[in-house]
Amino acid sequence: MFKHILQRLGSTILLLLAVSFLTFWLMRATPGNFFDSLRLNPQISQEMVERYEKLYHLKDPLLVQYGHWLVNILHGEWGYSFYYNVPVTHVLGTRLFNTFILSFTSLLLTWSLAIPLGIWASLRANQWGDRLLSLFSFAALSVPGFFLAVLVLYIASLVGGLPLGGMHSPGYDEMSFFGKVWDTLLHLIIPASVLSLSSMASLQRIMRGNMLGVLRQQYILAARAKGLPENLVIYRHALRNAFNPLVTLLGYEFASLLSGAALVEIVCSWPGLGSLLLTAVRAKDIYLVMSSTLLAGVLLIVGNILADILLVLVDPRIRYEQ
Amino acid sequence: MIGLFLVQAQAASRYGGSLVEAVSSDPKTFNDIVSTDANSRVITSLLFEGLTTEDPFTLKVIPNLAKSWDVSPDGLRWVFHLRTDVRWFDGVFLSADDVVFTFNDLIYNPDIPSSCKDVLTIEGKPLTVEKIDDHTVRVILPVKFAPFLRAMGQSILPKHCLMKALRDKKFSFTWGIDTPVEQIIGTGPFQLSEYHPGERLVFKRNPHYWKKSKTQEQLPYLDKIVFLIIQDHQAQLLKFMDGELDAVGISGSDYPLLKPLEASRQFHIFEAGAAYDANFVVLNQNPRLNPKTHRPFLDAVKLSWFTNLSFRKALAHAIDKKKIIEILNNGLGLSQDGPMSPGSGFFYTPDVMTYDYDLKKAKEILKQAGFHLSPDGGTLKDPQGHPVEFNFYTANAASAGREAMSGIIRFDLERLGMKVNLVTVEFNTLVNKLMSSYDWDMVMIGLTGGVEPHFGQNVWASSGGLHLWNPRQKTPATLWEKRIDEIFNEGAQELDENKRKILYDEFQRIVAEKLPVIYTVLNMDMYAVRDKFGNLKPSVNGGAFHNIEEIYKK
Amino acid sequence: MNNSRISLAFKSFRQNRMAMICLWVLGLLYGLAIFADLISPYSYADEDRNFSYCPPTSIEFFDGPKIVPPFVYQKHLTFDAMHRRVFVVDRSQKYPLHFLRGGRLIQVDAPARLYLWGADARGRDLFSRICYGARISLSIGLIGVAISFIFGLLIGGMAGFYGGWIDGILMRVCEMFMMVPGFYLMLALRAAVPENFNSVQVYISVVLILALIGWASLARIIRGMTLSLRERDYVLAAKTFGVSDLGIICKHILPQTVSYSLATLMLSVSSYILAEAGLSMVGLGIQDPVPSWGNLLSNAMEIVPVIFAPWILLPGLFIFMAVMCFNVIGDALRDAFDPMFQD
Repeated sequence: MFKHILQRLGSTILLLLAVSFLTFWLMRATPGNFFDSLRLNPQISQEMVERYEKLYHLKDPLLVQYGHWLVNILHGEWGYSFYYNVPVTHVLGTRLFNTFILSFTSLLLTWSLAIPLGIWASLRANQWGDRLLSLFSFAALSVPGFFLAVLVLYIASLVGGLPLGGMHSPGYDEMSFFGKVWDTLLHLIIPASVLSLSSMASLQRIMRGNMLGVLRQQYILAARAKGLPENLVIYRHALRNAFNPLVTLLGYEFASLLSGAALVEIVCSWPGLGSLLLTAVRAKDIYLVMSSTLLAGVLLIVGNILADILLVLVDPRIRYEQ
Repeated sequence: MIGLFLVQAQAASRYGGSLVEAVSSDPKTFNDIVSTDANSRVITSLLFEGLTTEDPFTLKVIPNLAKSWDVSPDGLRWVFHLRTDVRWFDGVFLSADDVVFTFNDLIYNPDIPSSCKDVLTIEGKPLTVEKIDDHTVRVILPVKFAPFLRAMGQSILPKHCLMKALRDKKFSFTWGIDTPVEQIIGTGPFQLSEYHPGERLVFKRNPHYWKKSKTQEQLPYLDKIVFLIIQDHQAQLLKFMDGELDAVGISGSDYPLLKPLEASRQFHIFEAGAAYDANFVVLNQNPRLNPKTHRPFLDAVKLSWFTNLSFRKALAHAIDKKKIIEILNNGLGLSQDGPMSPGSGFFYTPDVMTYDYDLKKAKEILKQAGFHLSPDGGTLKDPQGHPVEFNFYTANAASAGREAMSGIIRFDLERLGMKVNLVTVEFNTLVNKLMSSYDWDMVMIGLTGGVEPHFGQNVWASSGGLHLWNPRQKTPATLWEKRIDEIFNEGAQELDENKRKILYDEFQRIVAEKLPVIYTVLNMDMYAVRDKFGNLKPSVNGGAFHNIEEIYKK
Repeated sequence: MNNSRISLAFKSFRQNRMAMICLWVLGLLYGLAIFADLISPYSYADEDRNFSYCPPTSIEFFDGPKIVPPFVYQKHLTFDAMHRRVFVVDRSQKYPLHFLRGGRLIQVDAPARLYLWGADARGRDLFSRICYGARISLSIGLIGVAISFIFGLLIGGMAGFYGGWIDGILMRVCEMFMMVPGFYLMLALRAAVPENFNSVQVYISVVLILALIGWASLARIIRGMTLSLRERDYVLAAKTFGVSDLGIICKHILPQTVSYSLATLMLSVSSYILAEAGLSMVGLGIQDPVPSWGNLLSNAMEIVPVIFAPWILLPGLFIFMAVMCFNVIGDALRDAFDPMFQD
């Protein structure tokens, strides 16, 4: 088990290197860098732009630039955001936190609704309730998330009562602690529910499928034949086995915490990573992009390892042995 | 006594309240010397002030931190008398040292990449800025320089706060967006009190601001200004209609949505006039060779079309400005023919050559220039028989309107028989093409303008880096470019405003006639502001809140 | 496992009523795409700026009390005091509909225009653009999935079959692609596409980008299936009879995976259609004037046109329908084939 995790960590570092170089190369493959947009300002001299370029080694060969970045990362120096003129960590910190709040809320919402719904549907398989739910799930899976967000925002603007995007009210700073929490929760409603709708739909389908699969198994039949109460059969025996495979999914959801919300964040003006990164990629704010990709990678790995450990904890049949 | 009492009672009620606005992105820095982008400028304009400023309506230069100035008869030696009642946010009084520091130690410092250095450098020489006493500063110009007073609108920064950063050679990175807000020290009406990246900036009232109202009341009136950072214009509109925002800048296409709501939602739309931001099409006329490949930057055949004035005129006749205004701005816009906007006021002249939308005329002009259609009528060929085909670049995201406009123009050019590949690229990529790789044919882009024509020197002088169609020429390629060079040199040194106007009128006529850039349409500057505010006087030059210190909540 | 079980699976699929409805709807949508030239009254680029945001044209059947062959009226665009668009119907002249003329099903004579579902900002017919857009949107998913499926099949099949270090390396490569957040990888890849590509080339590169992002997860799924298949008796038997590795992969393992992956593929098609829409929303999808449902929908991201010309939301409905159909069919296929993998 321990050895397995160590092994994974080892291969992971290599992977992170490969990913970071791939990103670096992609960012540099196209002509034009951030200072190019400064060149069109009639009040800025070209000498100044060139001085900046030298300061950041942007004229050096690709590998040298990448080397500079790598050495800095190893020293805990994440690089500099040209666009914001501050260290990358400063920009990323709060945005990461905001994205985390949104994604975590929607994750919570998804799992706390999808699992019961999935069980409910599996117990009524092919009855009208199940069919209605699956129709609804298909519909939810089929709307582009960003489009749904736009529609919900329009409707909310007609109905009123909910904040239309953003994370806090303008008067947030003067609120009491509970006022602040309440204000943030209100702002979370639209983006979090839009985000969780489609993942809820798919998770509900998966849970339903797993549950149905387990209920067909012989040991369930055996348990029923023994005359165990139906509730016990379902919630003690079936549920655990249906739930185990979902743990692996949780690991992946962990990784998509970072990027899954991007478009909805942009539409709902949520001050998270999504809008920041879209601007960064467009402006070729290279170190900002690199750092966030790296973070996403680390999160995915942490998520996977976490899922591995969880899986062992919940399912004693699984052991990692060579 | 009673009268005086009444005035005071009424006035006392003006204090307090807050204003919530929106900006489309985070500021990049609070350091006004190194900032280069418009959004940072919106923020810093509340914090910092210069010796002079522009009257938003007459566009004349008026006193600001300097209460008056004297000039020697030759126009070279200026003495500025500073106000004695100006205090920095931390309570320290403004002095001549701050002014000298700002110019000599910051702007002219070779280690600091300042964006204002170019404007304040005249014929390669800096201004000489000296302290006479605590509240008097002398500035000596190397040669006569007409836009001098306007250029003295440059923000003044506090020496006592920044000296240390300068000594540590860290000034370029000081006052970045990671600085604790209370450390940003200026003289403006409001000071920064909160900054939450990606969310909002909060400003509080500067209690010892120097400006007083006509009734000698301490300004500003408002307690607080909040800028919400909302990238998407649609989201801004929704938040304005919802009541969260107190003001929003709107375009012509938003007008029909908002105008009918004015009464019920208690706001008013101010139409300030034609905006400065020009949108234009430019053709590459760069004849030089790429020093790396020893091949021309631009294919010789294309060069022969683009340098052909008739070709450019035909293009100008193929731009359906009226419909572009209708489609993009619901009829709220102006067609632009010359290089300046009516918003520039005094120096603008409407008396330039205009080009109406007329495809027949365009075809006729092309025919006279030797271009002809292929027998099937579908392809335009040049006199040597080459089919006319080129790439038309425009930037995405920067402005949706520009992208749509390019599509409309492309459609008409195809009707002339040209094969035009519309290519939408990132703004950075486009700039790279224009400024360094020079591998472009036609581009749709925009530049912002202003009151003072000389500040566009970088575009119009043939040696300018922003002389888009053929940048950084050693000697002007054409006679008319030579004449524009002369106009800009003369104009900078001519102190008589009326004589300057004659020169710049000629410049506008030349550009409209020779069409190095083909102008399209100008948007109208419009602001929707809630009725709860008093003293609102929006102008193109200053926006909705140029007199922010006088605005109060009713 | 044999043919009869596969045909059994298809039989159970056919009994799924919802899936069959979706199959018909998809057929209709593909019909729109294939016969776009015939069905749509105009070419996708045909614009008439006098009809900016013209509402749907009403087709008249009555001339007073008399029934006459269908015709339309011409409309004139004006702006009211609030700068809203107002179309005034000009009843002075009737423009009869022409059927099957010039290779198109319905046409009217200029200057009148026939807008079945309204016009966009530049006076282009939305109905025609949706028909032509179907070509892009419905093919992008199919071609993209085909490419990533081939990749996924090869790599996943190899990894699963050989296991060991080959599996290790290939799966690490997969993880690398899955690790980069998809949306940003998409943006970065799109930024690396040469910008002077014409619309066909842009189309191909968008397809390739989507495929490049999608193959890794497919490969993982296929690896998992191969892993379980290779331990089956008949594969072991083939091995002992000395059938070559490639032969086993191609003859025994892949056919089994294909039938099951069909379900996964259907679901991937829908995610590709959605991805194209997302790419278009940030302005990096198929470029105007060539329509795709994604770039048509991106016009509906702005509140003002949606309020004054709600018909521009229609492409959203089409994306929804297509994605929903693929999802339902994919799910039904999985249900149908599932029993085969139960034992």
